Amino acid sequence: MINLVLILPLIFCIVLFFAKNKTLNNILIVLYALVHSALGVCYLINPQIIQNNQYFELNSTNLIFYLVLSVVYLAVSVYNIGYSRNLSLKFNNGKMALYSMMTLAFVLSMTGAILADNLGLSWIFIEGTTLASAYLIYFNKTKHSIEAAWKYVFICSIGIALAFVGIILLTIATGNLNSLNYNDLINNASSFSHFWLNVSFVFILFGIGTKMGLAPVHFWLPDAHSQAPSPISALLSATLLNCAFLMILNMYRVLISANCLAYARIMLLLMGFLSLFITSVFLYRITNYKRMLAYSSIENMGILAIATALGGLAYYALFIHLIAHSLIKASFFLTSGNILELFETKRIKSSRALGQIDRKTAWLWVICFLGICAFPPSALFISEFLIVKTFLMQEHYILCALFLILLTIILYALAKVVIKMVFGEKSQEKYELAKQNIKKITISMYLPQGIMLTIAFILGIYIPKFVDIIIRNSIFY
Amino acid sequence: MINAYIILFGLTMLYLSTTSRLKAHIRMLIAQGILLFLICTTSFSHCTGGLIAFLTVETLLVKAILIPWFLYKVLNKTHSNRDTDANIAHFYCLLISSVILFLGFLFSTIHIPSLSMINPMCFSIALSTIIISLWLITIKHKVLSNVIEFITMENGIFLLSLSVAKEMPILVNIGVLLDVFIAIYILGLFVSEINSEFNDLEVTHLSDLKDCEYDD
Repeated sequence: MINLVLILPLIFCIVLFFAKNKTLNNILIVLYALVHSALGVCYLINPQIIQNNQYFELNSTNLIFYLVLSVVYLAVSVYNIGYSRNLSLKFNNGKMALYSMMTLAFVLSMTGAILADNLGLSWIFIEGTTLASAYLIYFNKTKHSIEAAWKYVFICSIGIALAFVGIILLTIATGNLNSLNYNDLINNASSFSHFWLNVSFVFILFGIGTKMGLAPVHFWLPDAHSQAPSPISALLSATLLNCAFLMILNMYRVLISANCLAYARIMLLLMGFLSLFITSVFLYRITNYKRMLAYSSIENMGILAIATALGGLAYYALFIHLIAHSLIKASFFLTSGNILELFETKRIKSSRALGQIDRKTAWLWVICFLGICAFPPSALFISEFLIVKTFLMQEHYILCALFLILLTIILYALAKVVIKMVFGEKSQEKYELAKQNIKKITISMYLPQGIMLTIAFILGIYIPKFVDIIIRNSIFY
Repeated sequence: MINAYIILFGLTMLYLSTTSRLKAHIRMLIAQGILLFLICTTSFSHCTGGLIAFLTVETLLVKAILIPWFLYKVLNKTHSNRDTDANIAHFYCLLISSVILFLGFLFSTIHIPSLSMINPMCFSIALSTIIISLWLITIKHKVLSNVIEFITMENGIFLLSLSVAKEMPILVNIGVLLDVFIAIYILGLFVSEINSEFNDLEVTHLSDLKDCEYDD
């Protein structure tokens, strides 16, 4: 079954390449999303059904990441039905086929990166995500999208190359062990050289951290997320960053087994707080709402890094945060796609009075905001609450205060923008344009966000038994 | 003998940091490719035949022939042979590169017991190459020279993987190949796209996206 999930998109790509049919594009993208989630559901019912192969496996560690990818991709594929209909008015069949092929390749490489049980293989798939998503960022072929794609490819390639240096250094640390398999690494970690392990972690953290969007190596992220088509932005933010994070997490597990966490924790805390700081500074005077969401992703990746460094109770918070952030941020980006369709601009100044133009989009926008700002009952409230609790339990009072202050600044900055956009005074010209464009937004462009937000808010009140078990199984004490 | 090749490899980085002609940069890439090929053939006594064959053929074919040929093609298409406005004058550029390389040499002479698994000369020159390349990327203004420096960094990483005296998993070699693929394919394509969209290959044109007000 794992083989099916990895081979199917390649077959679909070949079919799409020859067919060049708009309806078929959507059908195959949704079909793959269904097959993708079917694998996750099968594993939940009975893990024995899934036959892991030599290089890929679905296990308790990567299950959460896989399920999040499945759900977000399914939602994006439904949204994409309406979105690609609008897109195909501008572009010909060949280009739309290429768009769909690249989307499939992008999801395939993310799936590979999650399922790979080997550091080298995950690295290759992470590199593959850069190749596939670069075209998607560049899809609109404007000057700005070229610039964004160029920065993305160049910065991420350098980052990934540095991560490769980290892998080479890891092979020095491993001594006589000639394998990069995660289980082998974890089982033999006690014999590794601590010095080389630390050095290699620094390289991998910086290299893959580039892909994950941690400050100070986040520069590509706001550009790329704001220039990509909205469904792709949602995938980039809600799933790609997670894939990179999984690789760092796996490496961190090796460090836990080797019992040399001191440096790694400091590095993660430093990068996490720097991400929060950068976000709070740049969000304060933000002028572009898609960039705003991109910065918010940097913030949340920072929170994940901090939770990893804290350990203990924060591990539980980490996975709740990961799930809830992915669901809410994907909805946020998809809703921003609706706004972009309405106003045809990403400037906050020009996109106001959303409440008077399209009430459904406005409501989604507000609820997404409440979700991302961790208003109860958003699941992010639980995760951030647990992180604060861990701070206090470990007696890091100053860090805790800093964490809360930075989050409050970010909340204020986000609230200012969202309120301005939903309730602000309308400009007549934009109002009429938006009223004309409202027919472009079909039901499939509201529904996925609604469902994802519902899940994220329900998780804040009640965590079902199976989710709880999955999270507890992923935790590594 | 192998140390001579490695030192020559380090010296190509010095030449790269002094010249502004992109043709000379590409020639240095060819030289690096051939040197890496020679290092590969002489240094692998502990590996199996298939792996050596793969590595040597890959280095010679891709690093010494395919990439330079591709870059020549892009260069001829874009008619931009000089990268004149580097941020720092060539003399200082040479000076700093030399210092980095010299520190590398010094590092290779220090004997550390935990370094027994690696060839110190190879390791330290590879590190210097990576650092010099990263530094050159920050000061050059042409997109194409950034690409070239990226490839020299890849060469440095390749040398680093050669310095570890144990058999690398084949995946790592595939990884190197994939990186090379990124370098020529995506970067090459982007270079021509940027050239057609902006009529020039200056990095300074690519600074429109920022957090203050811009039209989008």
